[in-house]
Amino acid sequence: MKKYQLGEFEEIVMLTIAILYKEAYGVAIKNEIETRLKRNVSMGAMHSALVRLEEKGYIKSFDGEATEDRMGRPKKYFQITALGKKAMEYTRETRNELWNAIPKVALDLIVVR
Amino acid sequence: MNPPQLPLRFFRWYCHPKLADYIEGDLLEEYGKRAREKGKWRAYLKFCWDVLLLFRPGIIRPMEGYKRVNTYGMYKNYFKISFRQLAKNKSFAFINMAGLTLGFTCFLLLALYVHDELSFDKFHRDAERIVRVMQHDKQEDGSIRAIAQVSPLLGQEAAVQFQEIEAACRMSAFGRVTLGNDPALRSYERIWSPDENFLQFFDFPLVEGNPATALKSPDAIVLTETLARKYFGNESALGKTIWSAFTREGKPVYLTVTGVMKDPPANSHLQVPILFSEATWPTMFPWYNEYVSMDWESSEYVTYLKLKPGADTQVLARKIDNLVKQNHPKDKDFKSTFSLMPLDEVHFHQDNAQDNELNANSIRPFYLYMFGAVAVLLLLIACLNYVNLSTAAALKRTHEIGTRKSLGAQKGQLVGQFVTDSLVLSVLALLLSLLFAQLMLPVINEFTGKSISLIDLPLPWVLATIGLIVLTGIVSALYPAFVSTRVSAVEALKREIKFGSRSLPVRKVLLTAQFAISIMMIASTLVIYRQLQFLRTKDLGFNHENLLVIDINSNRLRRNFEAVKSEFSRPAEVVSITTSTRVPGEWKGFPVPTVQKVGDSKGRDMIFVGIDKDFLETYDIKLLEGRTIEDPKADSMKIVLTQLAVQQLGLTDPIGQMIEMPVIRFGGSREILEQPFQVEVIGVVEDFHFESLRQEMMPVIFGAPNTVIQRIDYYTLRIKTTNWDQTLETLKAINMQLDADNPLEYTFLAARFEELYQADAKRGQIFLLFSLVIIAISCMGLFALVSYSVESRTKEIGVRKVLGASVSSIVSLVSREFLVLVVWAGLVGLPLAWYLMRTWLQDFAYRVTLGSATFLLALGLTGLIALLTIWLRTIRAATANPVHSLRSE
Repeated sequence: MKKYQLGEFEEIVMLTIAILYKEAYGVAIKNEIETRLKRNVSMGAMHSALVRLEEKGYIKSFDGEATEDRMGRPKKYFQITALGKKAMEYTRETRNELWNAIPKVALDLIVVR
Repeated sequence: MNPPQLPLRFFRWYCHPKLADYIEGDLLEEYGKRAREKGKWRAYLKFCWDVLLLFRPGIIRPMEGYKRVNTYGMYKNYFKISFRQLAKNKSFAFINMAGLTLGFTCFLLLALYVHDELSFDKFHRDAERIVRVMQHDKQEDGSIRAIAQVSPLLGQEAAVQFQEIEAACRMSAFGRVTLGNDPALRSYERIWSPDENFLQFFDFPLVEGNPATALKSPDAIVLTETLARKYFGNESALGKTIWSAFTREGKPVYLTVTGVMKDPPANSHLQVPILFSEATWPTMFPWYNEYVSMDWESSEYVTYLKLKPGADTQVLARKIDNLVKQNHPKDKDFKSTFSLMPLDEVHFHQDNAQDNELNANSIRPFYLYMFGAVAVLLLLIACLNYVNLSTAAALKRTHEIGTRKSLGAQKGQLVGQFVTDSLVLSVLALLLSLLFAQLMLPVINEFTGKSISLIDLPLPWVLATIGLIVLTGIVSALYPAFVSTRVSAVEALKREIKFGSRSLPVRKVLLTAQFAISIMMIASTLVIYRQLQFLRTKDLGFNHENLLVIDINSNRLRRNFEAVKSEFSRPAEVVSITTSTRVPGEWKGFPVPTVQKVGDSKGRDMIFVGIDKDFLETYDIKLLEGRTIEDPKADSMKIVLTQLAVQQLGLTDPIGQMIEMPVIRFGGSREILEQPFQVEVIGVVEDFHFESLRQEMMPVIFGAPNTVIQRIDYYTLRIKTTNWDQTLETLKAINMQLDADNPLEYTFLAARFEELYQADAKRGQIFLLFSLVIIAISCMGLFALVSYSVESRTKEIGVRKVLGASVSSIVSLVSREFLVLVVWAGLVGLPLAWYLMRTWLQDFAYRVTLGSATFLLALGLTGLIALLTIWLRTIRAATANPVHSLRSE
């Protein structure tokens, strides 16, 4: 049974939130992922991921300031919760376990071109 | 920077309102950045694309709208506040709830009662198609007598000749017969002999036996379950035989039980006793067959017709008129017309005394309307009271209203709160009243002799009742709600209650209406009780106390009455004894001959009673002139008149005059004597009432016992005893010696007269009860109104006291304005009561005069009760230390 459910994109979003620490709001997260991972992130995908994560209780949000370039709309900052932290650690551990379980030869034989 | 409006509006439309703001912020921030970097046009396209991609579950607002969740909370809050209000103002809640519950309970019970009355005879499958034939006879004096009995042939012939009739069923109430296998346990049972299709015509289901054949063969009887249990215990009664007092060729007839019928429901006008097969009569009475196949004149049989759907009763009635006219003897006048009365109307017609057996528990529609009106008035009063109390209570809540208003509450929301308060209270009261009604029903059933239960109420009635009560709750809340929401928030917060005085006139009008109804009820109750008292104490012209009447049920008691009299007069308790054909307060039919002076053509109806020499003495009737009947044989052509008879006949010197009786009416049938019965007047006695005081006093003529008119039927004993049980035992023993087959049947004449007015006495009690309820509810309203008046004048009272006002002056100051209301209420209520009671009293030929004393008494009583209620509250305010009231600033 899966203890913690965390999709690939969700994991990336959470990691980014953690990286940004206190500056994690919508546009910042998007830009961070786009620059670090060189991939396009749509507003829809990101926000629905955020909503899902918040529903799962992995992140929590608080209202931030409203700036001029947002035309007065407030920012909403995200933060990892204790449960979220556990979920991230769990995902990482299962990955590591799997990595460790791979016989050395299995990967050695594959030639990366 | 100019954000793209159209996509943004689309986004705002679909996005969950919780998320909209900051996602919008993100979108705009991105748009601004892109517009700077890549140009407006590309940023615009990108913006649209983002908005489209955001259109996905999780971000779109939920279908139900998330706002409704909030409204639930508001409704929940309404209820919470309502319950807190009730808990906070316990005495107010109690008074209000008590008033409503009392009103609802009475309304429910009355609705049940009225429904039961309206449900009469509806249980027959073909109820809507069944009619009863009524005969209307034109009398000598031009009036029309309606009787429910017709000639034996009418139904049968009509059914054959007129195709709109599907079936006919007639029956005759034979009277009573002694039944029982065990001589010690015999008793008299009422017997009807219907046509053999009776059990198929009506829906009186059989528990045992075949309804198609049960009433076919001679000597067959059908018992009700109760009677079957009485005579045969728990065994099956079917096929068993039972001894009867009928004789055939000198031997008792044994009857065979061919069916056991379920007891007829209480809401049936036919309270079927024992059914007796008509085929038995010809075996006992040789003339019977000829009678039922030839006679078109008599009126003995109650006849019901089952019509085919769509039949026109008016047309059919005229056809029946013609049918009877054709068959009526040509040499006799035909003065009758017929009508067809629908089965469900029978219950509301009291045709005449003799029909009581064939129309049990009938009621005049007047009473039904009256009870219906009382029910509506009660509900109305309870509502008025509620409105009054709630408006007054709203005064206390101005602070709350002010706070709510300043926090932005809409008018509708405030009204919503009031309606919820009211609904909570009225639904609670409804539940409570259902409980009380259920608890009260056994008492009511005992009292009315009905078997009403809450479950009997059909669904539409239940819904209507509940709907009405809930509506009451809502409507009652509207007035206080609108009054209290009209004030401005500032006024309400400052507690400068102006609207209290503004709404006072309305509340006073409501209270006046309540008291008007109360006064009306009290006055009516007083009149009813005065009339009952009048009926009980009115001098009947004879002394009916301590008179015991013995029914003669067999020839053994009838034949040699002098010997029987001497047997019965043996105990020392028997002061005197007499025999007669009929007795005052008669419960069987009595003969009414037309009496005239010899040679006159126009006669008067008078009651004929055959008596022996001890009658006047036993009954304490005063002889004014001449002598009474002394010897049955020698005086068989002599007669004694009452003063009224003398007067109506126009005799100046009555003694020795000859009078004659050409026609005798007995119940529904008129018998024209072949030779007028001629008699000589030998005495005159004082007038006395032979019937109930509802009827105009009829003249009475006394003749000898056992004349052509009628044979003796009763012994009357004047008894002086201290131990009635023992006296009765002695008399029973004497009866046993005289006639072992038939048990002693006796009646106390005083109780009999009491019984004549029993229905009225019960109605009086019901009226008394409802008057009490109404006055109680009204006083609650008054109490509340007075307390608010006093509360709003606390300071004034304090100042007055400081300046030296006495307690009594303060009490009278407050009381005066309310007592004026009572007087106003009297002006409205008393005329109503007068009208109502005048209608009711028209039922009685002898009645109290509607003097002003009774009405003033009602007004005084109500005033007194109101005064006590007012004092209860004002005394407290008037005696309070003014320091407290003046410090309340």
